Formats: sequence, structure tokens, C-alpha cells
Amino acid sequence: MASTETIRPGEASPAGATDFDEVDLVSVQTYWQLVRRRFMRNRTAVFGLVLLSILVFSAIFFPFIGGDAWHLTDLTRGPTDPISITAPLGYDNLGINIFFRLMKGLQTSLIIGFFAVLIIAGIGTAFGSISGYVGGKVDNLMMRIVDVVLSLPGFFLILMLVAFIGSVVSPMVVIIVAIGITGWTTAARLVRAEFLRLRESDFVQAARALGASDSRIIIRHMVPSAMAPVLVAATLGIADAVVTEAALSFLGYGIKPPDASLGNMLTGAQDYFYRQPLWIYYPGITLILVVLAASFLGDGLRDALDPRQKLEA
Amino acid sequence: MTQARGQQDALLEVADLRTHFATADGLVKAVDGVSLRIRPRKTLGVVGESGCGKSITALSIMRLIERPGRIVAGSIKFDGQELTTLPDDEMRNIRGNQISMIFQEPMTSLNPVFTCGDQIAEAVAEHSNIPKKAAWDRAVEMLGQVGIPDAKRRAGEHPHQLSGGMRQRVMIAMALSTDPELLVADEPTTALDVTIQAQILELMKALREKNGMAIMLITHDLGVVAEMSDDVAVMYAGKIVEASDAVTVFDHPHHPYTRGLLASIPRMGHRQERLEVIKGVVPNPLNLPSGCLFKRRCPYAMPICDNQPPLREITPGHVSRCWIAPDGGRPELGEAPTAAEAESAAQTLTVVNP
Amino acid sequence: MRAPNTLTQPPAVGSVGVSEADTLVRVDNLVKHFEIRGGLLGVSNIGAVKAVDGVSFSVKRGEALGLVGESGCGKTTLGKVILRLLPATSGRVVMDGQVLFDIPAKGEKPQRQALYASKEAMKKVRQNMQVVFQDPYASLNPRMSVGELVGEGPLVHGMKDKKEREALVRDMLNRVGLNQSHIHRYPHEFSGGQRQRIGIARALALHPDFIVCDEPVSALDVSIQSQVLNLLNDLQVELGLTYLFIAHNLAVVEHISDRVGVMYLGKMVELANVDDIYANPRHPYTVALLSAVPEPDPHRRKKRIILKGDIPSPANPPSGCRFHTRCWLREQLGRPERCEAEEPELRDLGGGQQAACHFTEEISATAVGNAVSSSAPVPSSAT
Repeated sequence: MASTETIRPGEASPAGATDFDEVDLVSVQTYWQLVRRRFMRNRTAVFGLVLLSILVFSAIFFPFIGGDAWHLTDLTRGPTDPISITAPLGYDNLGINIFFRLMKGLQTSLIIGFFAVLIIAGIGTAFGSISGYVGGKVDNLMMRIVDVVLSLPGFFLILMLVAFIGSVVSPMVVIIVAIGITGWTTAARLVRAEFLRLRESDFVQAARALGASDSRIIIRHMVPSAMAPVLVAATLGIADAVVTEAALSFLGYGIKPPDASLGNMLTGAQDYFYRQPLWIYYPGITLILVVLAASFLGDGLRDALDPRQKLEA
Repeated sequence: MTQARGQQDALLEVADLRTHFATADGLVKAVDGVSLRIRPRKTLGVVGESGCGKSITALSIMRLIERPGRIVAGSIKFDGQELTTLPDDEMRNIRGNQISMIFQEPMTSLNPVFTCGDQIAEAVAEHSNIPKKAAWDRAVEMLGQVGIPDAKRRAGEHPHQLSGGMRQRVMIAMALSTDPELLVADEPTTALDVTIQAQILELMKALREKNGMAIMLITHDLGVVAEMSDDVAVMYAGKIVEASDAVTVFDHPHHPYTRGLLASIPRMGHRQERLEVIKGVVPNPLNLPSGCLFKRRCPYAMPICDNQPPLREITPGHVSRCWIAPDGGRPELGEAPTAAEAESAAQTLTVVNP
Repeated sequence: MRAPNTLTQPPAVGSVGVSEADTLVRVDNLVKHFEIRGGLLGVSNIGAVKAVDGVSFSVKRGEALGLVGESGCGKTTLGKVILRLLPATSGRVVMDGQVLFDIPAKGEKPQRQALYASKEAMKKVRQNMQVVFQDPYASLNPRMSVGELVGEGPLVHGMKDKKEREALVRDMLNRVGLNQSHIHRYPHEFSGGQRQRIGIARALALHPDFIVCDEPVSALDVSIQSQVLNLLNDLQVELGLTYLFIAHNLAVVEHISDRVGVMYLGKMVELANVDDIYANPRHPYTVALLSAVPEPDPHRRKKRIILKGDIPSPANPPSGCRFHTRCWLREQLGRPERCEAEEPELRDLGGGQQAACHFTEEISATAVGNAVSSSAPVPSSAT
């Protein structure tokens, strides 16, 4: 079928087929650009981030400008005083500015949440990475320890710790440590699972084949990949820690007045439930906002950080 | 049979099918103007590389496209009946009854919590009003037909207890349990080892003869296509670029992509120092070139290729989407016609029903 | 391909006996069993997957040795054990005169200590033997740029100077056909074929002699496969590389290899020069495997030998010859007992061909023809 004037490859116009190296590029984004793009596309996640930023900012800014307002009693004022710019939520029966007290309580709760989660992430990462990297019998033993810690009734353990040594050491520190040492198991399991997977992954094997040392493989290749789930667990953990603190304080074992926390503000407000129902809503809603913000952010991070996830609508 | 192709009744006739996906990154025209026909009792091989739209074409025929995908244009006629506008319940009746489909990875298409026998029996019961016991007997009979030894016992086993080849046999048994007229097989042997692939291909051939069904075989493996197909359609970037009977496509390929593919695969018993290559990669579906989609990789590219080439008849029954003349010579229009000339030439050359 | 390495003498035509000077990699009686753990605490052994079960061969300097087989035959495991990415159960691997490990088999007499190359020696050897993985998506750390990936090998081997490293990376990218300007890009920005080029550049950056290619093209599209195969060919010629080329695609292996080994269930069943093995296979499994490959030519729809049944589990391989449960030759010979009772050794058949079959002499055109015609399609009611 080919006639004498059959066209030959390349003879017509080679210009049509140059630069294929350029058209091949799928996209021009780095991993973190992709993460950001995926995150920004997730509306609830962005909402969580914005909300948490506002809460953190408020917890730093308002106690700072308010000075001692959060615990100064002023008997000339009371619940009947009209609200004003300086006291947008009014005054309680001791004449304390409720807004500043609420912000101070928020600050306490967030500090506890942040540091407790730091301990959780620290212990969890160290424990999980050793367990996952070494593997075998060591791994088996370490995971049984996790099972034991998990089987302890965490909340009552914290309650006990706070009840016994809360009077000696600052209750805030006790709560942070108590939440930290009971809550690391999930993070440890996540990191271990990630390390077990990564240890067998092609790119870790490829690094090993290049002659990279164990420490380089762990630090350069494994930890960065394993940190994503820890970051997610930590963000979600903030919500847990804040709720735990509130529960402790509500039961009277946590932060005690005159120190402010969302939990003890709830306790204080329940005495006035019928006369001043709003007082229970202020700390209650703040608590809900913190938990929501942390959860939305955590879920959003989980989706955004997954390097296998494709960009989809 | 080349000339008879146009006159024969088609079991399935797809005309100008367009299935698009509205993704967050933009509109992906996964299938964009696909026309093909499957003759009764014959096998059409659809070849192409990943992302060329061959699987989406199959899913469109089955009406199994899910959001964000949508069939935006075209017609799919099965046995004279238009499928694109059929109500969902009627389509469900055709699907599995008259058209069945098997997939590449049988493990994900079988339900892990039910036994193989249960799943086939359910498929049978769904499409015919027979008692449970009879449906189960039919399931066991089908498993025997697809060459599963000790079918009675195997029917009581769960998918994970079977090997990959066995699972694919179960899938085939399920697909054939309702005696369909058309079997759509999407890469049915890609996940299997070569000796197991040979078993499954042999099985499909035998069942095709026995049941008198047509097969739409989707694969990237030119060997499997040559082995199985009566007709072949080659897809590239969402379009059919060449179609004819198998012998013509393999012996006298017209489109440079088909030629490139055939030249680039290593063949047993024909050792060469270097393989021919198709340079570059498949274009990004979000950033398709204008004009001919293959022009950036094409060794024959010329100015006329900036205009979309028509799917035109090369010889009776043989179509190709390329400006190169049917005899392999320079385009009749010359190499650099004006856009208007190319447009009107494309109009006159295009064959609506290949 | 088949480039005579200028540094070594061309091997004598048709010789199996490889003189030590020609041998780059020597594998002796390599065994890799994966223990199946079970029991209450998950620490007791309840069996083993015999992935590689006594394989010996050597790779000559400058050649490409192909390794084919179906899933579960142990070819990928074999590659990883040779590279010491997986610990061997027993056996010995010598690379360029350096013993990587020498582990005695269980119950070997006289008893001796297992020998391992030291950490330092191993690191040195790693410069000389590299690997290209199957999946170009999984084998590149998604968080590292192309420059970091390709430069990692030189970095861990002491090339601390950043400028020097970048120059090397650019040279490597050039060699594998990638644009140098891509040095700061990340793997996910590239297509599969380009990623595989990055993987190849990464392996080449250490200037190795020996590269294990583990299914390097099977994850790629058809039109991209030939690009990568040509690249591997060119690099072999240019750099005098030695390949162990592991693949399941027989046409690809035929294209790239000088010699080919066929594996089945952890054993090497046949080993020969590429032309001999494809033209004149001497093991019934090889015969069936070659016959099973569909050819891209509608005129040559051949009748094939259809093996019965599935590939047995490597956790519980058949006794005697592991292929006897599916062997067509055994059926023809009236099921001789020897196949079940006695494990065949890899025998020298002359002309550099080795096969592990008791009855390899019985393989003939007539025998194969009979096997083909007895491979009736499954439902016998076919027209």
C-alpha cells in the first residue's frame, strides 16, 4: 500500500515534535505546595484553622491587655450592671469582668492542651519509632506495654494523680503531665505502624542500597514521612486534653479558683444556672469552639498531608 | 470481510461518545468523540495506554460513570436500543443480563464476606425468577464450566481462599451466568501470570464459541489483542485513532501512533539492537494540544497537524484519524493548508459511522 | 547490549564454566525462607515461605543476565538478598572478590560460623552494586527533590562539596535523558517513565559496575517501555555495566539479556544463553512459559500448551521436582515416579545450557506438539 511518495518520519517538519521534555511535566508544585492547596480547598479545615487562630490570639491578647482584670473583684459592680465595651459579657456576682476571666480560662486550657500534646507526641514518637524500627521481639514487648497503659482507666488515673500530688505541685503541671503520660499510646501506635510500613518501603530500601546509614535513613527518610500522622493525632489530641482539663476542674480536682479555667468557670456557673443561665454558656461554648476547631484542623491536616492522595474535587 | 463491515448489523454501536470529568483542576475529556461498533459474536479489541479512555469508554457503555464524570454527548445503541437515555431500572436489567463486565482485579470486584457460589447465585436470581436452590445449582454449574475443579466445594469458599486466576474464573462465571450477548472485559488478564493468562484467554475463546457472545476486550497488551480480536480499535487521549479488522491494523497500520506502538514493543524471536521508540509521553489530559493530539510525539508532524484531523476511511472498513493520505503519502491538501481549507476537508473526509 | 567490556576478555563462546576473572557476582546455594509466625504471642514458627531455595549462578562482567519467572518464583526476593536488602537464610554471595555473606545451611557438616562483610566493607561494596526498582512512584522519597535524590548516594559516600555534587547530578540527569533544569523539582511532577529515569540516574551516580534491575519497565506504559529499555541498553554499552535483569515479560528479557535464567517456586529450572533458551528450551516449564506468551501478530495465533492448575504455594512446594504437579511432559511419560520422589539438579547439557529436569532429553518437537493438542480448552463442548 505504500507508494513511492510514502512520507518518511521526520522529513516533513521536525519542529512539530521538539521540547517533549517540557510538555511532560505534570505540575510544578512542591510537596508542601500541594499540601497547602489540598488544605485550602477543604472548607471545614480552613474554618478550623481560622477559628483556632482566633482562639489562640484571643487567649494571648486579651489576658495581656486585661492585666489583672480576670481575678480583681470590684464589689461596686455586679450581674445587674449593663454590658459595655470594657466588659462585653458583664460582671459576675463578685464584680469580676467575665470576659477577661473567660479569656484567662481559655489561655489556661490551651496551655494545658498544647503542652500535654507536646508530651504525648514526644513520648509517642520516640516509643513508636524504636518499636517500629527495631521490630521483632522488642517491638512485641513494647506493644504489650502500650496495651497495658491503654487498659488503665486513664481518666481515673489522672484524677488520682491530681488528687494526691496536686496540692504539692502546681495543679496545672500535674494535669499536663498526667494527660501526657496516659495519652501517648495512640501516637506511639501510629508512629510504629508508619515505621513498619516505611521500613519495607521501596524508597527506604533504595536508600539502604545506596549505603545510607541507619541514622540517615531514620532522620532523613522515615521520620519526615512518619510525622504526618503524629501531627494529626496531636491536633486532635488538643481537643481531648482541653476536655479532660475541663472535666477535672468541673469535678473540683483541676484548676481551682481563684485561678481561671474553662472547667472551673463551668462549675462556678452551675450555682447560678437559674438566675444567670448565660454564665454557663460562655465557657461551654468556648470549650465547644476549641474542640471543634482542633478537630476540623486535625481532619483537614490528615487529608492534606497524605502524599498518596490525589487532587480531586 | 473488510468491505462487509459497514453493512453488517452491529450488536453495539457507539457514536461520538463523550464522557467528561469535571475535576477541581479542570475539565478532563476522558472520552471525547469515540465511535465504535461491535459485531454479534465477534471480539473487538480496544487498545491504548493508561489514561487513553478505554476503561471509561467501557464504563460509559455500562452506564457506570460516577460523579464527577458524566456522559455529555453521543449515543450508545445496543441491539437497536439507545442506552444513554434509558431509565436506571431498565439499564440495571440490561446490565448483568445482556451485557456483563469483568474487571482487572477480581479481588476488589468480589464481595469478601459472601461465598463465590452465593455471589453467582445472587446474580442469577436477580435476573431470572428461579428458586434459590436452582440458582445455586446454576452457580455450581457455571463454576464447573469455567474450569474450576471441584466446583461444588469451591462454590462454598470465600474469594480470599482462591488464587488470582481462580478469582478471575469466578468473575467470568458470574458474568456469564446470565448468558449475556456482550461481555465487556477490562484488562481481564493484566493482573495474572502468563501461564494463568493463557488459561483464561483459552477459556474466554471457548466460551465465546459456545455461548455465541460478543466480547469487548480492553487491554494495553498488543499480544492479547492479536490473539483474541476480530476487530481492533486503537485509542489515544480519549479518541479512536485507528480502527479496522485485526489483520489490517497489525499488517497495514496507518496512524503513526499505531505504527509506533507496533514497532516499539520487543517481540520474541526478533531480537534487535535498538527498539523503535515513541518519544515523549501521553499529553496531560488537562492540557491537551490543539489540533492532532499526537502531533507533539509524531515523527511525521507537519503544519497541517495543527488542525484536528478527521477520522477518515483509509480502505473500506479501515479508519484512521490522521492527515496522511490513505496510501501513506503526503496529505491531499498539502502540508500547510489554511485553517478554513483544513476545516472543510475534515468535514468531507470524516466518517460518521466507522 | 552484548557490549564486550573493554576491560575484560570476551568469554569463550558457549562456555558455562566461567573463569573467576570473568565473574563479577557469584551466588552459591542461596536460600531465603520467610518464617510464618503464629501462636498466641506471634513469636513461634509455624512454617516458612521458601521464596528462594538453593539457587546458584554467576554473572559475568559486562553481561546482562535475565531472570524470568511468574509471581511467587522468588526472583525479586533473590535480587534483594543478593543486595543484602534482605538477610539470607543461608548461602554465599561474592561480589567482585568481596564475600558479602557466607551463611552455612542448617545442619551443614562440619559446622562453621556464618561470615558477613563488615559494615565498612559493605558500604564500599554498595558503591559498586546498585538497584533500579519496579515502581518508580514508591522508590523515590516524595519529600526529596531530584537533586537531593540523585545526589544522596555521592553524599553518603563522602562527596560533601555541594557544587561538586550538583555538577555530578547534572551530568547524571543528562545521561538518562532528563533536562538538567529539573534538578529542583519533586518526583510527583514527573511521569512514570521520567521517574524511572530519575531512579536510574540515582543508581548510576555512584558509578557502579553492577545493577540489579527489578522489573524496571513493567509499571510503565507500552510506548514508554521501549524508551527506558533503550536507555538501559545505551548505558550498558557506554559504561560497561553488568545487569541482573529481573522481569516477568519474556520478550523484554529476551531483548535485553545475554543469558537467561528461568525460575519456578524458588528454584532455577533452566539457565542458558538467550538464543538457546528461546529457540530450544530444555525444561518443560520453559517450554510452556514461552508457549503461553501471546504474540502481537494475528497471523500467528498459535496453539499453546496450557498448564493445568495454579502455581503451588511456595510455603508448601510439591515434593521432588516442584513442577511435577503441572508438568505436561510427566503426563506424556506416564507419570514416572522419579519426578515426585527426586529433586532434579541443574544439569549441564552442553553449549552453556543447564536445565533441572530428569527427562530433558525427552523434550522434542513431537512431544511439544502432543502437549499442545492435548491442551483442549476447558469446556470440551466447544465447536
